[in-house]
Amino acid sequence: MMNYIIRRLLYTIPILIGITLITFFFFNVVGGDPVSIMLGKHANAQMIADMRHEMGFDRPLIWQYFDFLKQIVTFDFGRSYASKQLISKMILDGAPVSLCYTLPAFVIAMLISISLSLLVAFWRGGWFDKITVIICVAGLSVPSLAYILFGQYWFAYKWGMFPISGFQPGFPEMISYIALPVIITVVLSIGGELRFYRTVMLDEIHQDYIRTARSKGLSERVVMFKHVLKNAMIPIITNVVIEIPFLVTGSILLENFFGIPGLGNQIVEAINTSDFPVIKAQTIIFSLLYCVFNLLTDILYSLVDPRVSLK
Amino acid sequence: MSSAPVEIEKLPKGNSLTKDAWRRLRRDKFAMFCLSIVLGYALVAVLTRLGLVAGTWSEQVGKSYSPPSAGSWHLWFGTDIFGRSVILKTIYGAYVSMTVGLLASLIAVPVGVVLGAAAGYYGGKIDDIITWLYTTISNIDPTLFILSLAFVLGKGMNSMCIALGSSAWVGICRLIRGEFLKHKEREYVQAAKSLGASDARRIFIHILPNVSHLVIINFSFLFISAIKTEVILSYLGLGVQGIPSWGTMIDEAKLELARGVWWQLAAATLAMFVVVLSLNIVGDALRDALDPKLK
Amino acid sequence: MENTKPVLEVKNLRTAFRTEGGELIAVDDVSFSVMPGQTVGIVGESGCGKSVTSLSIMGLIPNPPGRVIGGEILFKGRNLVPLSQRELRSIRGNELSMIFQEPMTSLNPVFTIGNQIMESIILHQKLSKKDARLRAIEMLRLVGIPAPDKRIDDYPHQLSGGMRQRVMIAMALSCNPSVLIADEPTTALDVTIQAQILELIKSLRQKLNMAVVLITHDLGVVAETCDYVVVMYAGKVVEEGTAEDIFYRPSHPYTKGLLNSIPSHNGKSKGTRLETIPGLVPNLLKLPKGCRFQDRCTRKQDRCATAEPSLESVGAGHKASCFFPYKEGGV
Repeated sequence: MMNYIIRRLLYTIPILIGITLITFFFFNVVGGDPVSIMLGKHANAQMIADMRHEMGFDRPLIWQYFDFLKQIVTFDFGRSYASKQLISKMILDGAPVSLCYTLPAFVIAMLISISLSLLVAFWRGGWFDKITVIICVAGLSVPSLAYILFGQYWFAYKWGMFPISGFQPGFPEMISYIALPVIITVVLSIGGELRFYRTVMLDEIHQDYIRTARSKGLSERVVMFKHVLKNAMIPIITNVVIEIPFLVTGSILLENFFGIPGLGNQIVEAINTSDFPVIKAQTIIFSLLYCVFNLLTDILYSLVDPRVSLK
Repeated sequence: MSSAPVEIEKLPKGNSLTKDAWRRLRRDKFAMFCLSIVLGYALVAVLTRLGLVAGTWSEQVGKSYSPPSAGSWHLWFGTDIFGRSVILKTIYGAYVSMTVGLLASLIAVPVGVVLGAAAGYYGGKIDDIITWLYTTISNIDPTLFILSLAFVLGKGMNSMCIALGSSAWVGICRLIRGEFLKHKEREYVQAAKSLGASDARRIFIHILPNVSHLVIINFSFLFISAIKTEVILSYLGLGVQGIPSWGTMIDEAKLELARGVWWQLAAATLAMFVVVLSLNIVGDALRDALDPKLK
Repeated sequence: MENTKPVLEVKNLRTAFRTEGGELIAVDDVSFSVMPGQTVGIVGESGCGKSVTSLSIMGLIPNPPGRVIGGEILFKGRNLVPLSQRELRSIRGNELSMIFQEPMTSLNPVFTIGNQIMESIILHQKLSKKDARLRAIEMLRLVGIPAPDKRIDDYPHQLSGGMRQRVMIAMALSCNPSVLIADEPTTALDVTIQAQILELIKSLRQKLNMAVVLITHDLGVVAETCDYVVVMYAGKVVEEGTAEDIFYRPSHPYTKGLLNSIPSHNGKSKGTRLETIPGLVPNLLKLPKGCRFQDRCTRKQDRCATAEPSLESVGAGHKASCFFPYKEGGV
């Protein structure tokens, strides 16, 4: 077990290096001269040179890369170009805000889709299954912006059930602000989730050991909830854990529409103001987070699946 | 389980795999209908490219924000703020989306297939490097990846396609690599090897045709993600500039909705919904037809 | 043996599957009976309907697409076909149990083998968890698993294929069934392990006085274990009789062909080519008019293409469905 974890940790190192390299490549090499984009058309040569020096773009690439690594290790990404705030503080402030609505939405969507997928697998091939699949595919085909726009227009603007936008920290105050984003996020994610879980369950149902379980005379309920579900837990856990980093970053469009000051909204603002350092910091932090959770998934996997720990 | 039905399926002789798949696909009437819709969109895109349709999208056809009316077909979906026909803009948007999907696929498919084939076939160091590359990229959130790349490359259609293509090859590469790993050990490849077939011959003549259906299946899903990404990038101002697209139309609709102008949003959403739904259904049907095991 | 009633009797069983090409009758009018303590072999090529027959008896035909469309399955005199799944469940795994071809995939990978054996003991025998565990250990010892009190907490992947099949047998026998259906129990195993498993089934059958329905494509396996043999071809029974009848006095050309395609050990056939049956199993959706075996038969005559032969007696307790059977004792 310990061996497995250590091996998995070692395997992560080249990936981590790769992520820093690619991000660096994007922003410091492909990006060419971010300074002129940031300063706009009216900057004179002196301003650009000063800025380049300030941001270290006049140094050799290798040094720029080491600076970047240092930034990551010390979690100090400098200040936002637009708001002059410390980027690390912006991220630490923004992440909990995003989690306020993504986390409840995620839990609700997961519970609904897993229970529905069990029902669908139970009545596979029947009308319930067919209708669910059709609704899922149709739901997935509606652009996410349309859900957000229609939701905001009807529920908030027309019917006044929720505030149109804004956010308020603190427990009871927050509810009215996050309610609609939560509902929309659930609706947005449930189609894909349900389709995924349905495939997982149906895969299980056709396994030989499920037939063995039936041949023992177990009831369909025990077969589903004991034999199918425990096996299905393996892909389910993978899917759940790997989605956590996405919860932290939040939804770019949703946050922008509802004025929720999470990480997603920060990205939109950073793009609008050509705020290079913010985008770069978010990209690298998210990727590292994702990498860590990937690792975590594999470790959890080995705990759930007795076959893994032995290898 | 029951060996009988499986045995029977193999029996009808003289049907190649492709023919068989096509036969299965054709029986799925709904999927065929959806396929014709997708082809219809593609045709519209080609005609737009040639300037035969929607070339006049920028001309004023009515008053600003006139609601949909039954008169001239240009007005079926009303007009936008400048009095331009929403339906023509929507058609032009179809051209943009189809082009983005096509160009992104033209980047992603060759890169993904070649790298995946090389990694799976040769193994060793080559495999290590390619696997490392795609694992690394798949560790970056695709939205952020595309966003950052589109951002550093600058606005516009080309950078959008490059960004999308550079992210989408990963899935194809992983898939093809896995298949090549399996197939290179199969008897038919070993037989080709013992007959003296070169590496290239084995890769392209023997194995590739046996895994190409996966690329076809992926193609439809690649288009879907291209269409969806176009909308997000256009909304963020990183998409196409100066021409209408579904993304920019929805972006404009954001401000129009409060004034009761819903038709631009409706037209773009409907156009997108129909093609994405059709692609989803065609993709599923293709998967069922080409790879019945996956069902 | 003659005067007792059969423990399992299959009468005119018909099982159909819905397929893309139409309704496919995988098992067509199959009848046979199993006496208490007897071992009956069902033999045939893959796709002949022998597995579907066994799954039909167990009520495990996946529905849709399959279902039993006719006939009776009498278990201890009670017809299983009209029973509800709930009623079937109290019989399945209890008095009537089954082991499968693939020991590698037939055990649930995420539960210990003890857990899986205890599951059916607790369900059918209403034992406490503690007693069920003792019973499970006893069963593992019975099927020859060393150190069963330790192995019981192993996961399936920690065991070899042969060991897993032993576990499957322990599981199937844990409630003292009257009939064990073994669907190709040794096909996926190494030859040496095959012999051990067959020996185990044989000895347990005597010890527990149960009947065994052994489904196999391997005539060697049948010769070693079975009292009575049913030969199936394209969903139908083409010949049945005692093991002696089938091996020494085969009547149906198909049975004869099967026997000729086994290499012999005694060197009699040295220097001669091993015979094969020409052609392929017919498509069940496009069966020829008349006899189903005609296209591959060496004794085919005009009549075979117009009428379908029925199962007729060719000797005491020996039946074959052929217009021109090999006569007993002769050619």
